[in-house]
Amino acid sequence: MLEFLAEAAALAFTPQVMLFALIGLAIGVTVGAIPGLSGDMAIAILLPLVFVMDPVPALGLLVGIYKGSMFGGSIAAITFGVPGTAGAAATVIDGYQAKLNGQPNRALHTALYSSIIADTSSDLVLIFLALPLAAVALMFGPVEFFALYVVSLTLVAALTMGKVARGIAAAALGVLLAMIGRDPITGGLRLTFDIPALSGGIGLIPLLVGVFAVSEIIVQAGRAWMRRAERTVASIAADAEKSGYDVAGDRLDWRTFRSTLRATFVGAGMGTFIGALPGAGSSLAAFMSYGIAQRFSRRPQEFGRGSLEGVAAAEAGNSATSGSTFIPLFAFGIPGSATAALFGAALIMMGITPGPTMINDNMAIIYALFIMLIYANLFNFGISKLLLPLYSRLAMIQPHYVLPVVLGLAILGTYAASNSVKDVWLLLAAGLLGVGLRWFGVPLGPLVLGFIVGPGLEQSLRQALMLGRGDWMHLLQSPLAIGIYLGTLAILVVFGLVTRRRALHAKEA
Amino acid sequence: MKFKHLVLATSVAITGAAGMAAAEFPSEQPIRLVNPYGAGGGVDIAGRILSSVAGEFLDTRVDVISIDGAGGQEAINLVRDAEADGYTLLLTDYGPLVTTALREDVSYDLDEWVPLVQITEVAPVFFARADGPLTDMETFIEIARDDPGGISVGHGRHLSVPHLPLILLEGVAEFETTHLPTTGGAQALSFVLGGQVDAGASVPSTIAGGVGDGSLVALALATADRVEALPDTPTLQELGYDVVLPAWYTIFAHRDVAEERKAVLEERILEALESPSAQALAQRSGTDLVLLGMEDSMEAYQTTIANLEAILADIDED
Repeated sequence: MLEFLAEAAALAFTPQVMLFALIGLAIGVTVGAIPGLSGDMAIAILLPLVFVMDPVPALGLLVGIYKGSMFGGSIAAITFGVPGTAGAAATVIDGYQAKLNGQPNRALHTALYSSIIADTSSDLVLIFLALPLAAVALMFGPVEFFALYVVSLTLVAALTMGKVARGIAAAALGVLLAMIGRDPITGGLRLTFDIPALSGGIGLIPLLVGVFAVSEIIVQAGRAWMRRAERTVASIAADAEKSGYDVAGDRLDWRTFRSTLRATFVGAGMGTFIGALPGAGSSLAAFMSYGIAQRFSRRPQEFGRGSLEGVAAAEAGNSATSGSTFIPLFAFGIPGSATAALFGAALIMMGITPGPTMINDNMAIIYALFIMLIYANLFNFGISKLLLPLYSRLAMIQPHYVLPVVLGLAILGTYAASNSVKDVWLLLAAGLLGVGLRWFGVPLGPLVLGFIVGPGLEQSLRQALMLGRGDWMHLLQSPLAIGIYLGTLAILVVFGLVTRRRALHAKEA
Repeated sequence: MKFKHLVLATSVAITGAAGMAAAEFPSEQPIRLVNPYGAGGGVDIAGRILSSVAGEFLDTRVDVISIDGAGGQEAINLVRDAEADGYTLLLTDYGPLVTTALREDVSYDLDEWVPLVQITEVAPVFFARADGPLTDMETFIEIARDDPGGISVGHGRHLSVPHLPLILLEGVAEFETTHLPTTGGAQALSFVLGGQVDAGASVPSTIAGGVGDGSLVALALATADRVEALPDTPTLQELGYDVVLPAWYTIFAHRDVAEERKAVLEERILEALESPSAQALAQRSGTDLVLLGMEDSMEAYQTTIANLEAILADIDED
């Protein structure tokens, strides 16, 4: 263990790796701050680059992007009231109010501190839980894996906020798309409609980049009015600034910071827990911890009116998912979120297969990743503290300057990954699919998770049936699997009750 | 006299031209080594070993191009459609090239391909948990004969390199097991270790660690000779079962490429891979270089085709 730590530290603390982590942070904060661009999108586009790089610097780059974008999202949320990323949606509630109240600096600093604290605690949970959980995972055979896959798909769909039916539909569509190509058991072709290009299945890269990035670009390009909307937001912002902004009064002092700590801890705990559940996203974590922090607050009436506690709770809840979201991936090889799925894809491209044996087989690299997760937080803190005054300008970069560049990178990256023009067509088709889904308000996360989880789901089901000689009851003969099903049911019931109560409260208020 | 001069002149001209052609190939134009897998896999790494030492021995660059579209057919078609000038070569194992061709409609005949150099040989190996009842291959076969289908074997993908020897062995030794396709060797290993599956079929690099720490027992190899990574494991041939079906990673040229060019490529590639720098790279990436020239790799290619034809015919009968 100790020699691995030394080896891992030697890998993680090279100037090259640290430089890549810094570059990643810079990219991450930038894409996070620009509404419409996200960290997932940047990671998807950079995937092809990952396999020409050494694993450790590549992971450093990805970790940097992920963490940077997590915080970057709150910049636009606080400065303009536009969430830079989905996770920052809850930050808008109090963050933008605080800004309008003349406290942008306090709100940004609160967001930064609570982000870093929650992120670090979540990383520590990952580090200390992943290894013991991976040991348990060896007890998992096809029957138990099938249960886990069912659970993650159910949770993905059920926890899609307010859109359960659409979430299920999107997940099912993802599974269906993943079935195109070769049957995993017999190797025969299926669902290819005699199109030779489909005989190898749909590639992960064209699908991910297409659905996430290209569709966003198409949507944004079609929204000329959005610029006008943004100008309005900017002029409101300017008005607020003219109305007597007190620079001295807008400094985050220790007492105010301490008053937000309780909310930060609530958010860190809640976010870590929700992040570890396969399928629950960072925006859900942010809203849940916002609600709970309000209940525990001494001044709940200030929530929604620029409460710094509200900012801290939302940001902590959002950022605390960033470590724990990797727990299912590292322990069982099942990605619990779109980001984890992207990291899983990157690991596979580096020749590292996520799953129970991954940590043992790649001890040095995984521990180097753990070390980077922690020091990226420190970097993020240092740089962000220094550059915070400049960051709010990032959010003003007009998307229409950036998007064409992103589209070019997406096409180039996809082509480079497979050397195939067919994948570029697939990319554009996936982009159109993404536009269609957005049009009908279908969430994209469940689709991608369904696509990634689908093959494992099918394979484990058919393996379990083969071992059980075709008897479906074989699926219920493992106490572990039964425990997993019951646990999921309990989580669904609890979440159902909580959401219902919150909805009732909202009505009364 | 005049006639003799003419003959001499002509022969000088001919040898001169031939000499020039030999000197020109390979020229500065890079050689494209196309493989049907994504970057980072075993075949891709084998190609990159050659690529990193090529400059010195082939006088030109070797670009490794990974195209995993259409189950590998896209890569094969690219090489087939390229000009047969020796600058576009195929690096593959038998899966996409031979197995697919025998099972599905493909654009080529198997005898269109001429192996130039075999880079490595991968040994299929059967294994089980050390504390289980399957202590050696004889016991395994005995139990499987007594209870057909009672033993489950995780073997990687359907008709993959470790799966085919299992089918072949069942025919030769007359027993039956439950074949469990897995996503690869890692999953087969974790199911065997976890006790959900009785035995596995994979390659030495997957199980060497488990055999070393005593948690696994390697039952038998489907190769002609024992392998370095598992020195105590017998081959099936030693045990009296004629099952030899190793996988190879081999560089192929299309048969229309001129014979002199094939010869030049064979010689230079072998020289490059025998160099100390290539050996060092191979060791670092865990690739076991088992180099064969044109003649021997052609034999390996044809043996594989014959074996696969037999196995697939057997499956179709079932």
